[in-house]
Amino acid sequence: MPSSADRVKNGQLTIDGVSATESAVPVDAQEMADVLAEAAALGKAVTPIGGGTALTLGNPPERVDVALSTERLAGIIDYEPTDLVLSVGAGARFGDVQAVLAEHGQRLPLDPPGAGDATIGGLIATGRWGPLRYSAGTLRDLLIGISVAHPSGTVSKAGGMVVKNVSGYDMPRLYLGSLGTLGVVVSANFKVLPRPRAEATVIASYDDLLAAFAAASQLRGGRDPIAALEALFLNSGWALATHIEGRDETVDAVARRIVSGAAGDVTRLDEQESAGWWSAYVDQQHLAQADNAVLVRCGVRPKETAALASTIIDEMSELAISVPYLAASPGLGTVVARLDLGGAGSQEGLAKVQGALLSLADSVTILAAPPSWKRGIDVWGRLPEGFDVMQALRQQFDPERTINPGRFAGFL
Amino acid sequence: MDREILVEKLQGIVGKNGVFTRPADLLVYEYDGSVDGAVETATPSAVALPTTAEQIADIVILAREAGLPVVARGAGTGLSGGAVPQQGGIIISLTRMNRVLEIDREDRTALVEPGVINLELSEETLPHGFFFAPDPSSQKACTIGGNVAENSGGPHCLKYGVTTNHVLGLEIVLPDGRIVWTGGRSAGVSGYDLTGAMVGSEGMLGIVTKALVRLTPSPESTLVLLAPFADIESASHATSRIIAAGIVPAALEMMDNLTIQAVEPAYHAGYPMDAGAVLLIEIDGSTDDVRGTGVEIAALCVESGATEVRSATERAERDLLWKGRKMALGAMGRLAPNYYLHDTVVPRSKLPATLRRVEEISRDFDLPIANVFHAGDGNLHPLMLFDRRVNGSTERVLEASKEIITYCVDVGGALSGEHGIGTEKRGYMTLVYTADDLAAMAGLKNSFDPTGMFNPEKLFPKGYMCGEVRALRMQAMAQKLGIHAL
Repeated sequence: MPSSADRVKNGQLTIDGVSATESAVPVDAQEMADVLAEAAALGKAVTPIGGGTALTLGNPPERVDVALSTERLAGIIDYEPTDLVLSVGAGARFGDVQAVLAEHGQRLPLDPPGAGDATIGGLIATGRWGPLRYSAGTLRDLLIGISVAHPSGTVSKAGGMVVKNVSGYDMPRLYLGSLGTLGVVVSANFKVLPRPRAEATVIASYDDLLAAFAAASQLRGGRDPIAALEALFLNSGWALATHIEGRDETVDAVARRIVSGAAGDVTRLDEQESAGWWSAYVDQQHLAQADNAVLVRCGVRPKETAALASTIIDEMSELAISVPYLAASPGLGTVVARLDLGGAGSQEGLAKVQGALLSLADSVTILAAPPSWKRGIDVWGRLPEGFDVMQALRQQFDPERTINPGRFAGFL
Repeated sequence: MDREILVEKLQGIVGKNGVFTRPADLLVYEYDGSVDGAVETATPSAVALPTTAEQIADIVILAREAGLPVVARGAGTGLSGGAVPQQGGIIISLTRMNRVLEIDREDRTALVEPGVINLELSEETLPHGFFFAPDPSSQKACTIGGNVAENSGGPHCLKYGVTTNHVLGLEIVLPDGRIVWTGGRSAGVSGYDLTGAMVGSEGMLGIVTKALVRLTPSPESTLVLLAPFADIESASHATSRIIAAGIVPAALEMMDNLTIQAVEPAYHAGYPMDAGAVLLIEIDGSTDDVRGTGVEIAALCVESGATEVRSATERAERDLLWKGRKMALGAMGRLAPNYYLHDTVVPRSKLPATLRRVEEISRDFDLPIANVFHAGDGNLHPLMLFDRRVNGSTERVLEASKEIITYCVDVGGALSGEHGIGTEKRGYMTLVYTADDLAAMAGLKNSFDPTGMFNPEKLFPKGYMCGEVRALRMQAMAQKLGIHAL
């Protein structure tokens, strides 16, 4: 498979069936802003692309004229290990950045599916997260500065290279997760953290959902250094994976305690094995799915996760939809499921599934689905409160709807 | 609208005892915690003290009809003039909305009204095993609503983060009087992060009527270490060694000799009077972790030249060691009648050079400057000591403060780490931001408040008109491309 940058260069970028006719690979921030301004003036639509790992996210674009690659904005701009801060170009691969940080015993604690190939800009635009959110939050908690190219032809920066900063509005958080609709990220600054000295993972099996979530609930109520907590639905029962990070003795002691407290089958993984297991785990939620697969994420208040997981399984079974994969984050209140719509696979079928899920959860996001099924459906689910403020933001920052028209929430 | 009619209508919304109009009652609302003379002020038409979000919405609609600005206010402890009215108008004081509405032990959240006092939230959640992590020095008085407006920090944000990291959702009143929720209890809420935009927006985008905040579990064990050093350099070196070892303490504070001279005779915390600097380091977590990390930190301090390392695990001992730090501002009265508390941030590695520059500025301006600051995250708080009664002294302080800010910005720092811009530092915004940077901020302001009704004349440089920005940018773009704006 050609890299996304190659696809851009060859003018082959296609998002949900809509193909770009032109490409641009700007070499600096101003050139990127110029590309956007020119497109805005000519009424063309631009889709920014980084690693291409999350292209299925969002509604099908109304138009894609120009594929805008961040490939040439990929360098590490500044890294001061003793200051625990990093400044990096939007096109840098997350995996490469983590490797540089690892040389100094540091990291960005973030583990969304496919992160290794994703770019920094892409991760900011999509605001994705993984199991580590339980202990470390998301990029929202790490982003301290940003530089953004706008369709007005300008480049603006906000924040800086310090970990505490209230000099003006907190713009970085506004851009985070906005799918590029307010501007294209040129570079970003992060607070980085020391890598934990040790890690281990305990995977315990349970016969039923209640037992698994009761165990999760107990862990959530304690004060152990638990980095991530995930419950995985298996047809024969449930598995609860507990990721522990911290000082060696503590990790060992906590892992022992969880192992000895488990009633059923239990496995303990240390260090490399533990890291490898989590990497494989998150990749099951990779957005690049097999044909006709539907991947959804639902959110409720965390203490209602068990009820959510259970009702999703029941409800889907009632609709005769099989659930080949379902994983829940009891500490985050989210359930990610892969659904096989079988014969009901159509736009209508997807709308029906979305409607059913919306009646069960506070938030429902269709992360991936066949493009033809997505048409006309807002995959972001419920229209958020304050949507007219969001419309005003879009109007202020991108009045011609140049960047990713229609892809974001409410078809912004 | 005639003032009498305005007052009558306000009384109709919040009741007769919910409106202040007498000059003596209004006077206090012309001030906050910032230094008199450092910020401009204007008398408000009236102060309203609502008790519900609906009342606030009605006040906002009334203000809109009357063409008056609205300034929301908490406890008035702000240090940048954020709550000080610039064009009069209606002050909405949120102090009567002070209920903790819900504590959710399982999901570790609290739903609070904006007038809840920071420390009281921690005290109320303590029996449930939690605390609210942001802990600004004014925590005994400042409100959660004010913390949200300023994105407040505090000593413990080194490990736990600042206010924005602890706010999950907000109920706000928009400038058109609508009440909306941003964010919430569930992950994955769609659309832009309006909660993130609201936190730190200095009351210019919306008025917070409820905040859903994260609670942090109380640690099993807490250890405070006190390490005196001969000079600031070696204390800074110790700080860098601790961070380089992969340790992120809960707090890492430094005080210089002048501060010690003020606080030790006042509180007898046991800081050696001859020390050039002391580090106050707090670590928390499981008992074993804290013990192990404490031993490591003590060794690093000694290797960096600490003359001794005292440690305290019991509450009373810890509080005593902290007392000198937390009460440092009050103790300054022993050295001078007035102080100006500065707030800037530099990258941590630039701390020693910055402190040398502060010392030079102190000499140049013949102004004693005490340094008490968050060394762990590079957040400086130079305290300039002066006597306001001496002619020209306030001006001298402001001049010196400008020198410090300029230096900090030059070495890659920021204008403010936790006090905000308000009116105090709006003149410095162009030191850090270009016209394009400010235009983006204006884009945010315009999206919430296109008429500039909420807290006018804050944060942006004087004379900056947000409303015209978009037109200007469109024009610039059109010129650049040689076409007419669409």
